[in-house]
Amino acid sequence: MRRLALTLVSLLLAALAAGAWSAGAQAPPIRIGFASAMSGPAAITGEGVRWGATLAVEEINAKGGIMGRKIEAFFADNKAQPGEAVSAVRKLADVDQVDVIIGQTHSGACLGAMPVVKEIGVPMVIEACSHPQIRALSGKGGNEWTFRVALDDEIMAYTFARYMARQGVKSSSVLAMNNDFGRGAAVAYDAAFKKAGISLLSTEFFDPGQPDYRPVLTRLKRATPETILAVILASDGAPFMRQFRELGLTQKIFSRGSLASAEFLHQVRDNPKIGDGVVEASYWVVGLDPDWDKKWTERHKIPPRVHGSLAAITLKWAVVPAIEIALKKHGKADRQTIRAALKEVDVKDSPLGPIKFDDNHQAWINMILLEMRDGQLRILEKLQTSPALLN
Amino acid sequence: MAPKPPNARRAPAESWRSSGTRTGTQLIGDILEQVLHGLTLGSMYAMVAAGLALMLGVARLINFAHGEFFMLGAYAFWLAYSELGLPYPLAALLAPAVMVAFGVAYQRTVIRAILPRSWHVQLIATLATSIVLTNLAIIVLGTQPKEVPTALSSRILDVGGFRVAWQRVLVLVAALVVFWALQRFVARTRTGRAMRAMSQNREACAVVGVDVQRVTLVTFALSAALAALAAALVSPLFNIFPDMGTALTLKAFAAVVAGGFGYVNGAIAASFLIGLTEALAGSYVSYAYKDAIAFLIMIAVLLWRPQGLFGRRIGI
Repeated sequence: MRRLALTLVSLLLAALAAGAWSAGAQAPPIRIGFASAMSGPAAITGEGVRWGATLAVEEINAKGGIMGRKIEAFFADNKAQPGEAVSAVRKLADVDQVDVIIGQTHSGACLGAMPVVKEIGVPMVIEACSHPQIRALSGKGGNEWTFRVALDDEIMAYTFARYMARQGVKSSSVLAMNNDFGRGAAVAYDAAFKKAGISLLSTEFFDPGQPDYRPVLTRLKRATPETILAVILASDGAPFMRQFRELGLTQKIFSRGSLASAEFLHQVRDNPKIGDGVVEASYWVVGLDPDWDKKWTERHKIPPRVHGSLAAITLKWAVVPAIEIALKKHGKADRQTIRAALKEVDVKDSPLGPIKFDDNHQAWINMILLEMRDGQLRILEKLQTSPALLN
Repeated sequence: MAPKPPNARRAPAESWRSSGTRTGTQLIGDILEQVLHGLTLGSMYAMVAAGLALMLGVARLINFAHGEFFMLGAYAFWLAYSELGLPYPLAALLAPAVMVAFGVAYQRTVIRAILPRSWHVQLIATLATSIVLTNLAIIVLGTQPKEVPTALSSRILDVGGFRVAWQRVLVLVAALVVFWALQRFVARTRTGRAMRAMSQNREACAVVGVDVQRVTLVTFALSAALAALAAALVSPLFNIFPDMGTALTLKAFAAVVAGGFGYVNGAIAASFLIGLTEALAGSYVSYAYKDAIAFLIMIAVLLWRPQGLFGRRIGI
């Protein structure tokens, strides 16, 4: 009897020890940092990134994580400013000890963060910044720690300008945000219009968060362009379009940013027709991933936001495959191995199209042309992009 | 390998090339349009600046959270109009009423504690309040801009091709009525006269029996109500978002300084000057740098008249 009791106690201790060992051996979660504008005038983008990232992380962890490893999200606020982006990277890398960063949503913040991620040695996968300089500075011979999923404005400008020329457009004015995103796009469209034979009549810049656009609309009216190319986000787009209609302007509007988006339509739901006819060049739109749209809408009661959805797609279709490669090949997913693995990512069927980084660490995802009409978004064309587009 | 874009290309300068000859009538129409636009902006700035000037005159305090009064007033209006479905006039009056309560609470808590302290403490405390209120709005109300179009904001007055939303006309008319009423209040009522007296000598007022605490309280309540009324008037034309008060505080403060430090009429006049400068500079010089141009003019005014445009001893 005593022997039996001893055996049972031994077995129990062994089981407890095994359990404790197993718990102790369970690999720590992979730490992923998200940097975006969580405060300031662009806080809407950061809020979207937080929502999108949280939803995607929950989704991945519910399926058991990445090869058994859970992931954990950390957030930092770059206020859409280059200087703040540096602090955001340092916070994520030094305090939160993340293995990879997804961000920074805004071109200025991306350009500000790039030297720091290189100095610290943490991979950063860019989900939304479209400034052409980012491609010039990344990859071979440049910043080996920066990768970009988002298309850049030079790639988009050449394609969009050709489309506009095909529609018979002869002249246009550019209205762009007075930041790195807007100014980068203005440079790109200046060159692209020349190449496509479209005459650029004027270029105007505005500070995001402006209450009133009447002076700039009057300037545009005076230049008498046939069309307006607006580089503008949905948050500014709603008052802009209302005042455009108030002044009785009739120019056709082509846009970059998120003017033709579910966010815009949600804002102008009292009169969605004010957006009629706007054609937008983009790489994401509601409807590319209906499952995602459903989950987002159920959770947040508003349509999915562009930047939050891009952050989630970047996590699910670029970073997670890289971590899987790192774990399979090296049995670990630290900063170095994730960076090496990102170069091997070759996803054929993400909602954005193929994701494979070239020598400049640029992915050549699909470009989409959308039209807004009667409160609906309609895909006009979906184009496969490639370096040949720049020739 | 993808071709690299050139490294150091500069953004094209803001430019405008007229593609046709403009007639004198068109030019006058253009200028009139910008003047009207400048007056609308000026009305908004003036209602906020008048409150700021009242506080400075009566309490000798610069309230850097005043732009957030405007922001909270705008959200109060949005709640009343869009969420509760109240008619526009009722919602536009409810927002100032709510902000009167907020102004009283702010005076009782933050201001009463910092009023006897040095200006450094007052500066830090009001700036901190501004940051806290903005971030609270982000957390509680979210970052999605709110749109509150009304029947008047989408109805257009078209006079020979000169188009303006009726809401802008309302803003101008309402601003005139508000400034007339404010003048009457300050000049004719007992509290108004006490406010003027306090702006000249707070201590002497206390000695002769003026209830300085009550008058300060009324000043804050009135200032908050003015900011909220401005918000209710212009919100149907613009967006409502948590950060909307930050730039407004700066402009209202510039108007208060340029108008003559605490002189309400001066602040109102300077606000219209800023609005008109912004509109005309934005339309004829550069839209991107319209704020810079407006502030440069303010600096020039202060170099010319350090006491402000209508400067005299502090007095409302």
